[in-house]
Amino acid sequence: MLPNPMPPARDFLEPLLDRAGRSPHALLQLLIAVQHHYHFVPSEAMEVLAAELGVTPLRVKGVVSFYSFLSDTFQGEVVVHVSDNITDRMQGSRELAAHLCDLLDVPLGQVREDGRVSVHFTSDIGLGDQGPAALVNYLPVTRLTRERIEALARLINARTPLSAWPPEFFRVESIIRRSDVIFRRPVPPGAGLRASLERGGEILPAWEEDLSPSDARRHHLDKGGAETLKELYRSELRGRGGAGFKTAIKWESVRSAKGGGRYVLCNADEGEPGTFKDRVLLAEFPDMVFEGMTICGHVVGSKKGVLYLRQEYVYLLPHLEAVLARRREAGLLGRDILGSGLEFDIEIHLGAGAYICGMESAMIKSIEGRRGIPRQRWPLPVHQGLYKRPTVVNNVETFAKAAVVSQRGGAWFAAIGTPQSTGTKLFAVSGDVERPGVYEYPWGVTVREVLRDCGGLDALGVQLGGPSGTLLNAEAFDRTVCFEDLPSVGTLMVFGPGRDLFEAARNFAAFFRHESCGLCTPCRVGTTLLENYVSKFARGFGSPVDLEEMRGIARTLRTMSHCGLGQTASLHLIDSFERFPAVWEARMGTRDFIPAFDLDGALEEARGLTGRTDQEAHLTPAEVRA
Amino acid sequence: MTSTFFLDGQEVPFTPGQTVLQAALQAGRYIPHLCWHPEVGPHGSCRLCTVVISGKPFSSCTQPAMAGQHVDCDTPELQALRRAALQMLFVEGNHYCPSCEKSGACRLQATAYFLGMQDNHFPQQFPRRARDASHPGIILDRDRCIRCERCVRASRFLDGKNVFGVTQRGIRTSLEVNTPSGLLGESALAVHDRAVALCPTGALLPKEGAWEVPIGARRYDRATVAEADLREYAMTEAGGLQEVHHG
Repeated sequence: MLPNPMPPARDFLEPLLDRAGRSPHALLQLLIAVQHHYHFVPSEAMEVLAAELGVTPLRVKGVVSFYSFLSDTFQGEVVVHVSDNITDRMQGSRELAAHLCDLLDVPLGQVREDGRVSVHFTSDIGLGDQGPAALVNYLPVTRLTRERIEALARLINARTPLSAWPPEFFRVESIIRRSDVIFRRPVPPGAGLRASLERGGEILPAWEEDLSPSDARRHHLDKGGAETLKELYRSELRGRGGAGFKTAIKWESVRSAKGGGRYVLCNADEGEPGTFKDRVLLAEFPDMVFEGMTICGHVVGSKKGVLYLRQEYVYLLPHLEAVLARRREAGLLGRDILGSGLEFDIEIHLGAGAYICGMESAMIKSIEGRRGIPRQRWPLPVHQGLYKRPTVVNNVETFAKAAVVSQRGGAWFAAIGTPQSTGTKLFAVSGDVERPGVYEYPWGVTVREVLRDCGGLDALGVQLGGPSGTLLNAEAFDRTVCFEDLPSVGTLMVFGPGRDLFEAARNFAAFFRHESCGLCTPCRVGTTLLENYVSKFARGFGSPVDLEEMRGIARTLRTMSHCGLGQTASLHLIDSFERFPAVWEARMGTRDFIPAFDLDGALEEARGLTGRTDQEAHLTPAEVRA
Repeated sequence: MTSTFFLDGQEVPFTPGQTVLQAALQAGRYIPHLCWHPEVGPHGSCRLCTVVISGKPFSSCTQPAMAGQHVDCDTPELQALRRAALQMLFVEGNHYCPSCEKSGACRLQATAYFLGMQDNHFPQQFPRRARDASHPGIILDRDRCIRCERCVRASRFLDGKNVFGVTQRGIRTSLEVNTPSGLLGESALAVHDRAVALCPTGALLPKEGAWEVPIGARRYDRATVAEADLREYAMTEAGGLQEVHHG
């Protein structure tokens, strides 16, 4: 049932369209606004957007159906998205979600008949240190317990507006457990930027260099940028998003690229399950991130920054906008930064639920208002990125580190960490540990040290770097986290003694199937096949042959996939086979092959038609095998 | 200006700006491909044209040729991977070759023969996909769609009609029609549009003229996909044959 009367979408959209200048690039941002307002995207809104933005209705449908948080059907006055990462599951999220559905008397994924509520699962929402967690009307509710679930159900059933709910439900903590040089002495707002500008030396009086005053200023800015770039080279800073590309090289490529209108893009998509370090950085040290972006603007000659914030972090938006406003007021953003003539400003774009958009070229498409499909490899974003302009794309943490490098110098930074992995790294630690949260260490820390500090030394295994990273067993705990040994985005999901690691494999396989964008064959089909094979093991039908099959599919995915998602989607399984073979042995129903074709499942349609639900209408596993 | 690179050890000339695939085909060296077509360019999605350059895999349809580079293409490992990707395409849809009108003129089927594919290997997914027979001259059978988006690009860039697009994501990615009802019958698609001609399978099939060309005398009955392609592209290059005969 739809809320009645429905305010017309055109009236709602008109002022937003005006503000967006009716650019087709605004499509996704406007759809998000519509979704938040109506809790779905009504067909009238799609028609208005298509007409006003000059795009085909099918393109609008294509975007709506691509992103997890957009829906073309009404999702209820209260929309609950329960985080479905393995760490949430380990804390009982599945049982809690079922309990909530019971109390609300609504089946999972459906809207209650009175239009009040719907409950869904969603990929990890970045609250692994205070889970199980959920989003209620796009706002996080943390530390779910049976009591809290019952309170939620009462509030929803009583039609209490969210504004009257206990504020502690919505409290998100920034749990910083270990501070090293950077957390301990964050860059004061403006300090990194001033250092960068001062590297330009004195602005020479115009007559001395025979330059016009504006040329003299430009010369000064250019020299400062060049010097800061040298500091960045000295720092050996590498990207913190996972790939570890040298930041200075990337910045220099854009600095020397042909064509103006360059962009500085900050990747705050943080979709890798188990990762939440960027959330804490954005909540506690947003100035460092924005400052790093502004310094990048100085170095590469860009006037425009965009921060791409994942939908799950939309609750941070007012805070971040306020920080941006404060920085404009303080002359740290705008047309004449600190009186130097430097021009730079930052806007925030929202994601709408798609892990793939953490891939830089998919993010670019998403900011342009399109489906988040990774582009072809060439041209690289540094040459043709956002709106086909030269674009720097860096992770949140990388920009924060760049601000530190500018403030304290490259040599200081390079002295921390290991030769090929300089500086510190933020780690998001969750799972079976006593002290989950964010830890800052110099690169080169051993897994064991982190486990000791967080209270997880008895761990059975650690998923390092999220599902796309690597699964370690206890034998590997003395290895070091750095580009020389174990590169990582800085995520540790810890599995304690007694955990069944099969459940992690199952969770991750489902995750990749759900998040595959569908562009390329190996990833689109391979992630589905892998999940089906894992399910086959779950049903007790797995055999050694099936493990071999999965290895083959994994090889195809790794070699043939278009982008990093597919290339890494099977690694967790291979690690699991190699390092935890007993997990798979235990699930093998047989040494012989059993066809994957689900005989009992094939009877489902017949059962549905005849209304049979009794045991007699099912085949037993023994019958299936016979 | 012409430079050369090495394809499986043999020198292949190219002009700057050409991709590895383009240069190879021009030199009469075949690399299997489904989503690329000379008229609509690369899509990078089928991945069959994957080659290995300096130990790293790349889709040759999107990879610029570079002087002196060594490209591995016809290796047992790569052929096996191509076969696996092809088998994935067969199991994710519903491809009933023996009863399909496109049989013998189907690029997917012909490529399967070319790569020595003996079976579908992977568990069949049996998806349920909507069929659309609303158009007087063309049937849209999504069972056979491999999401190469050739029709999407051809309709947009060659026919100037923008009839097709895709919705959903992942395994649910679906070819859709840009009309209010979503039905093909309402669209401006015409039987002789390039969008129809470029479909590599029987997903877009003209209704008239079915079985006109008997089995045994169809495009890939008379030549392998490699021979047919190389001949066609050579003629396209020479400006001779634009119309591609698809059975």
